[in-house]
Amino acid sequence: MSLQSALITLNSLESRRSALRIDSRFQITVTVVYLVAMLSVPLADPGRLVWMAVYPIVMAEASGTGYGRVSLKSLWILPLVVLVGAFNPLLDHSPAWRIGPVTVSMGWVTFLSICLRGLLAMQAVLVLIYSTGFYAICVALGRMGLPSVLTTQLLMVYRYISVLLQEAISMDRARAARGYGRRSYPLRLWATMVGQLLMRSVERSQRIHRAMLARGFNGSMPASTVMRSRGADWCYLLLWTAVCAVLRFVDFSAILGKLL
Amino acid sequence: MSHHYIQFTDVHYSYPGGYEALSGVSFRITHGEKVALLGLNGAGKSTLLLHTNGLLLPSKGEVNVGDVPVRKKTLPLVRQTVGMVFQNADDQLFMPTVADDVAFGPRNMGLPSDEVDRRVRRALEAVGASELAARPSFGLSGGQKRAVAIATVLSMEPDILVMDEPTANLDCAARRRLIELLSGFGHTMLVATHDLDMALELCPRAILLSRGRVAADGPTGALLADHQLLRSAGMEL
Repeated sequence: MSLQSALITLNSLESRRSALRIDSRFQITVTVVYLVAMLSVPLADPGRLVWMAVYPIVMAEASGTGYGRVSLKSLWILPLVVLVGAFNPLLDHSPAWRIGPVTVSMGWVTFLSICLRGLLAMQAVLVLIYSTGFYAICVALGRMGLPSVLTTQLLMVYRYISVLLQEAISMDRARAARGYGRRSYPLRLWATMVGQLLMRSVERSQRIHRAMLARGFNGSMPASTVMRSRGADWCYLLLWTAVCAVLRFVDFSAILGKLL
Repeated sequence: MSHHYIQFTDVHYSYPGGYEALSGVSFRITHGEKVALLGLNGAGKSTLLLHTNGLLLPSKGEVNVGDVPVRKKTLPLVRQTVGMVFQNADDQLFMPTVADDVAFGPRNMGLPSDEVDRRVRRALEAVGASELAARPSFGLSGGQKRAVAIATVLSMEPDILVMDEPTANLDCAARRRLIELLSGFGHTMLVATHDLDMALELCPRAILLSRGRVAADGPTGALLADHQLLRSAGMEL
């Protein structure tokens, strides 16, 4: 992904709004309920985890984001979770599954579980961000009692990612304009550019901070609109809590196995 | 009591590196005056502007906004009185949508949400950008960004408007619209600019800064007609 398309993706997050009109606080609560339910599935039982994909699939489609997009983006977390579970197959050789002549060890089963958990957790968070917007999430977290210093930090980090990207794009264009097609540069030059990028970003962020101070910023982001919960929000919360509980405690894989 | 004037009295300011950007600046801008701040790059224009609402505080001397001295304790009142439009509109627009950006100041003032909505509507109407309210700032044209940046300040209903290079990077049409917009404002106004034509058209009075000092202060027409003065300040018409 080029720097420019990364910036466009980041900016477009705030401009698109979900087809669902659910209060952000309820969306966050449902995401937390889902994460607790999903992460509490035993590592040795990846069959149940597969059914947990119902939530990101339904929500991605209902919000108009599309599950294909969400699942593709969630792959970014894969290297990290693979690293976390990489030693399981080496350490746990006890047999878990027998597929024909092949015996699958518990280490591989738990490794699969860890990968699935990572992907599903990432998908749930992505669905939340895509359907709500990062700014609305931060405001809702503030309303839910998270300290304003934390929500403001989150917002500022989010804001300055685009500042950093814009500066990186400008520098990359300047480099390319005088690069005459040259693609490889010595490491020392890259180090200098990263240093320059940092300096420019700090300078830019200082200007933005001044603009914020000039309009009365006092360290915490002002709350935007008044949030009022409606019946639909409560229905959304109760429905998904019930679904998560069913997915967590009912072994659909076993039921399906018996039926077949 | 009037909050609509700015008084600089022997203001000095040195940056942390020791560079003295302002060396004894004194002037007074009275209620309703539109004043152009002229000078070369590095003359101290931006530094001076940052003093008007306490983003920088003088190393020596005093800045007064109306009857209020600009000090740490008075900053909330001063910043409500002096609205500042920065040189780069992108620096001023940091919220997800135009409406959120325009509402940022009034919300920080703790105003009730219906009053915030009213101010956002009025400010966007004033700059002719009502239809942009729901749009994200990043996709706007240069002229639209500048108009929205001005709206972000107008929504705080300041008595004094301070602008840094408002016509920079604008095309002819956007520049013309901006000049007409600013001409219609009744605010006390201090505009730092290299756009001498705009200064002549918009501001009856000009202050010429040179090396951190006031080199001249008077009617814009007379000041710009004084070629010797302009040459000595390194400028030309």
